Amino acid sequence: MKSVIKTCLLSLFIVNSMAAENSIGDKTVLNEPEAGSVSTQQGLDSWSRVYEVASHPRCANCHVGNSPYPMWSGPSFTKTQRHGMNINAGASRMGVEYIMCSTCHTGSNSEADHGAPGVKDAWRLAPVEADWFGKSSVEICQQLRDPKRNGNRTYQEIASHLGHDVILHWAWNPGGEREPAPYSLQEHMDDIMLWGVAGMPCPDDINSNLNDGVSYE
Amino acid sequence: MEINVNGEAHEVDVEDDMPLLWVLRDELNLTGTKYGCGIAQCGACTIHMDGLAVRPCQLKASEAKGRQITTIEGLGTPDALNAVQAAWIEHQVAQCGYCQSGQIMSAASFLKFKPNPTDEEIDYAMSANLCRCGTYPRIREAVKTAAAKLRGEV
Ligand code: FES
Ligand code: FES
Repeated sequence: MKSVIKTCLLSLFIVNSMAAENSIGDKTVLNEPEAGSVSTQQGLDSWSRVYEVASHPRCANCHVGNSPYPMWSGPSFTKTQRHGMNINAGASRMGVEYIMCSTCHTGSNSEADHGAPGVKDAWRLAPVEADWFGKSSVEICQQLRDPKRNGNRTYQEIASHLGHDVILHWAWNPGGEREPAPYSLQEHMDDIMLWGVAGMPCPDDINSNLNDGVSYE
Repeated sequence: MEINVNGEAHEVDVEDDMPLLWVLRDELNLTGTKYGCGIAQCGACTIHMDGLAVRPCQLKASEAKGRQITTIEGLGTPDALNAVQAAWIEHQVAQCGYCQSGQIMSAASFLKFKPNPTDEEIDYAMSANLCRCGTYPRIREAVKTAAAKLRGEV
């Protein structure tokens, strides 16, 4: 079992590195605003747009935290529910334990209503730490600025990782009748950079005297 | 383009974006693989690509280039049945039979990962293969028997 997971993860790694070379990430740029040029309020405005993206069904449905169940929510569905067919992506996050996500989510993106979306990358759930589904703006913001929960990334690394990960790009170009994530990938990356340069402010930093005692400057 | 199906190379003259399922059924006449929904919702078309279950209604013909495709016809033959096929016969799983080649291909792929699955694990693995005739209890038993055969216990 372990060796099967290893093989799958290895092929995931290979697919990932190949994808990075030709990805539309090549068309995005990392726009770094000058230090001190973005106010906290402007940073919070950027954050609220970042939250609109993170909480959008195109992103949140697979950012399910500890749960192994992808979600079906948003305008294509009549109600919020677990992915049909009793799908369980398991601890592998890619269904190795039961039925692999790639069984249906192939390199071709179905344009048909309720057809399986796909990208040239291994379809999978987001890492457990990136827990967006049903979370508030404050909760997601605090996760994203916490190195322990954001993959030990700076805001520049968060933004550039978005540019290079093709599975994320699908959210803005989901095909068929699916509603895309708001704004564009480039605008989303720009908002993360603006938020970062502003010191990664979160909404409750100014609304309450409580803070987590960590400086993110 | 050339695609390899059941260990044989086939030259097929098709558009790159023709669904692989059409290539198998209409070009190569391998009609054991069934068409149910065309949108990855039923599992009737399940085959193996490089040994793993996939749904060719969702794959473009060009995605099969350089890969090893196995259909129900290539999993085993009447003279040399695959353990999963043998277990299916033992348990007389099929009712109308339409979904069954997909069920068998899914089970064969799953058992490579889980040689000794629990009922719950079987249900998670097989729920994405629909059966209008409701053969699910027999599918579950046959998967357990196939697993025991593959482990060399029966
Ligand atoms: S026909 Fe391919 S899953 Fe239904
Ligand atoms: S046996 Fe008839 S659909 Fe499954």
